[in-house]
Amino acid sequence: MSSLEVTFVTADRTVWTGQAAQVVVPAADGSMGILPQMQPTLAVLERGLVRIIDESGQATERSVVGGFVSVDTDVVTIAVDDAELAPSDL
Amino acid sequence: MGAQQRVYKQRIRSAQGMKKIFKAQEMIAASRISKAHARVLATTPYADAITRAIGSVATHSDEVAHPFLQAERSISGRSGILLITADRGMAGAYSPNAIRAAEQLANTLRDQGKEPVMYVVGRKGDSYYRFRDRAPHRSWTPYKEHELPDLGREIAAVVTEELLTEDLDRHIDELFVVGHRFETRFVQQTRSTRLVPLGLVEAETAEAAPTFPLYAFTPDADTVLEELIPRYVEARIINILLQSMASEHASRQRAMKTATDNAETQIDKFTRLANTARQAEITQEITEIVGGANALAGSGRTER
Repeated sequence: MSSLEVTFVTADRTVWTGQAAQVVVPAADGSMGILPQMQPTLAVLERGLVRIIDESGQATERSVVGGFVSVDTDVVTIAVDDAELAPSDL
Repeated sequence: MGAQQRVYKQRIRSAQGMKKIFKAQEMIAASRISKAHARVLATTPYADAITRAIGSVATHSDEVAHPFLQAERSISGRSGILLITADRGMAGAYSPNAIRAAEQLANTLRDQGKEPVMYVVGRKGDSYYRFRDRAPHRSWTPYKEHELPDLGREIAAVVTEELLTEDLDRHIDELFVVGHRFETRFVQQTRSTRLVPLGLVEAETAEAAPTFPLYAFTPDADTVLEELIPRYVEARIINILLQSMASEHASRQRAMKTATDNAETQIDKFTRLANTARQAEITQEITEIVGGANALAGSGRTER
């Protein structure tokens, strides 16, 4: 199975890049899961948690404030205003 | 010591003092360029992402409309110019270049029958307009280097509000940004760019033919665009602010290098002159002594 190529950036830095098996983002109309082979999508994000699960099943979480995500032939770009380590990771 | 010598010594001392200041400024600027440039580079992935996203929304959905995308949006005949200058001097032609570009742009706009509205960042630009009794519409000064992204957000919020307002006394039709583009630490260029209305034609040609995928929009195209465009404007303004900051440091480094070299030439020159003056004084003293001795010898007196 193919994997997702994720780029996770904020206005002034790159937070996370790499291959991932699954990404969950807080879209404007509810939490949205992204898996490989998904239809190209452009979605607005709300305040919430971004969860990236890499190929070994390891999950990283960041709490974000507004932004957008674009999915295009397994290339996922998450661009947000602000990202912090999720409280559970601290 | 003669008066002349004293004057030269004084000049040498002051040139030496200034040289120290210039040298220090040069080294400070040099160390800050790379940091400022790194900050510019850090914003690039975000800017790329948002540019691509906007391009795809705008090219793929014919039905989307946003006030910033309309090519013709003149209501009030006012055009905003955001001018970015330095807070401090000692940066050579950095601020004057930006101000000159802004004035040229303002003149062009006036010729087209539009009224330029100035938004100024930095004390140099602000005082330029105040001194000429044409106080800018808004100015942000002084600013701190590490707070530039926040400043950019604030500016973006203000201009977006005035671009969208219905109030004819405050509405602006267009927004231009005059700032510096940091290419390398040796090359920076003054740039005037139009930010609003967005030039989508450029985006299309720049990204050429590769077809964008047919996106599904969540929740819908209009909402996505509405969310993206202010962010895009914000990202562009922040990027230009950061590039200008890096250019300011580069410009200051160059100006201070020249000033240091110049102080050195001055020191050399005055050292030579001081030596000549000292030598002249010695020669004169010898001449006086010899002349006096000869005069005494010629008078026939043997005792003093």
